Amino acid sequence: MAQFLVLARDNGDPRREMGRMSPEEMQRIMGKYMTWSTRIRDAGHLLNSNKLRDGEGRVLRRAGGKVTVTDGPFVESKEVLGGYWLIEAADYAAALALLQDHPHIELWPNASLELRQVHDFTQR
Amino acid sequence: MSAEPPVPLAGLVDHLFRHAAGEMVAALARLLGPARLDLAEEAVQDALLRALQTWPFAGIPDNPRGWLFQVARNRALDRVRHETMSRDALQWPGGIVDLAQRGDGSDGGRIGDEALAMMFMCCDPALGRAAHIALTLKLVSGFSVEEIADASLERAPTVAQRLVRAKREIRERHLALEIPLPRELAARLDSVLEVIYLLFNEGYAAHGGENLVRADLCDEAIRLAQLLAGNPQTDRPAVEALLALMLLQRSRLPARVDALGDLTLLADQDRSRWDRGFVEAGLRHLERAAAGTEISPYHIEAAIAACHATARDAASTDWRAILRFYDDLVALKASPVVALNRAVAVAMAEGPEAGIRALERIGDDPALAQYHLLPAVRGGLERRAGWKAEALRHYRAALALRCSAPERRFLERQIAEIESELSATAPQ
Repeated sequence: MAQFLVLARDNGDPRREMGRMSPEEMQRIMGKYMTWSTRIRDAGHLLNSNKLRDGEGRVLRRAGGKVTVTDGPFVESKEVLGGYWLIEAADYAAALALLQDHPHIELWPNASLELRQVHDFTQR
Repeated sequence: MSAEPPVPLAGLVDHLFRHAAGEMVAALARLLGPARLDLAEEAVQDALLRALQTWPFAGIPDNPRGWLFQVARNRALDRVRHETMSRDALQWPGGIVDLAQRGDGSDGGRIGDEALAMMFMCCDPALGRAAHIALTLKLVSGFSVEEIADASLERAPTVAQRLVRAKREIRERHLALEIPLPRELAARLDSVLEVIYLLFNEGYAAHGGENLVRADLCDEAIRLAQLLAGNPQTDRPAVEALLALMLLQRSRLPARVDALGDLTLLADQDRSRWDRGFVEAGLRHLERAAAGTEISPYHIEAAIAACHATARDAASTDWRAILRFYDDLVALKASPVVALNRAVAVAMAEGPEAGIRALERIGDDPALAQYHLLPAVRGGLERRAGWKAEALRHYRAALALRCSAPERRFLERQIAEIESELSATAPQ
């Protein structure tokens, strides 16, 4: 088994940001996320998940023997790294299969999921 | 991947967001004043959005309502601080601190009070009927503009504009966000109950739309009446009667539409599909409605609904009792629609021709000129009386008026059946 980090990126949704989504609609969407994560967890694939705080972060660099800290990272686009899931799967193909019907990309037209395998040096 | 399982979510009851939205807007508006409705709504929307962006990762909190109340409160607080900073005059009402605590339901009575106060303000006689409905659905029920437009068969911009205007009226007229005093209550309650029953009927009949039945609206109307019945200040016999009426009618919803979404008439409904839970709750509230001496039209309509609900089958319906109730109803609230329903009872108690005679007496009422059920009912009675040509004419007249798609299919079916009967018996 290998571990994979699933990064949830989001470029904003006009209806959502304009406050035009109804509470019922939001709950329905919530239900889709929870259905997905419950299924993955019950099948033993979900190790951990966390929301990252929005609109903040620090970037540290060291230049000329001095550490500089800047706010960020704020890329030019309004893309936001909202949070992540840490999942377990045999390989990339198996991990991708778990994400096929992920609500994050089903629901938000501008959103994406980034899948990265954790490098486990104990394995070849 | 496996098919999506049914979604009984741990910690998320059905319509939690919708109901919590109404409660939070009411609670915030109470603290900020009705002039700040927009701010209250924005703070609530922010809180729900925050949940949507957090819970998928962090999981649903143990007390989701409390979580939402807390975030909404903080959002509202931030906005007020931001606005008043320059004036250096932050006068935040002390009560706001309790707001989130109340989200856990430990003080449900208070939340109910606020929602009720909001309901009365939304249905203030100073505002028009259309505004009553839009405001109630938006502020008490947590519907979006689009959902209200769907429910009232209007365009979303029309609804949005109506809401803006109504909220301005609320500000300019300084409408109170309070449960009316006992001496004003009965009159103010009338308007609230009328709006609730309109919502219910909109859900039950769904004129013009594809779905004959939108149980959502019916259930929301029932919830609003339950809020009124659950508060000693507003638990009047008329409230109990309306609640009984809606519960009894709601019990028939599962049988009212068949698997194809087509209308099934009361006589043809599979009564085993009537929801006994709703029937029993309805009968219980009808009993409570009998406390006191007040008799409202809802009492009588509920009594009629109870006659249907307790009849073993269509044939054993006590139509004579129902007809007597209709006579009472006409005496209490004469309206063309009541007269139409009474004519049906006459037909069932005394035969179709008597029903047709009763219909003829109301046939010219201009209020019913565009009402498809008048010619549709008449066509039905004429068919039963064996007057096929007349039945055909009236079914066609009904089809020319506005009705829901399932009703349309029902009428078309009747017309096709009569036409084939006529051609089978026509001389060669």
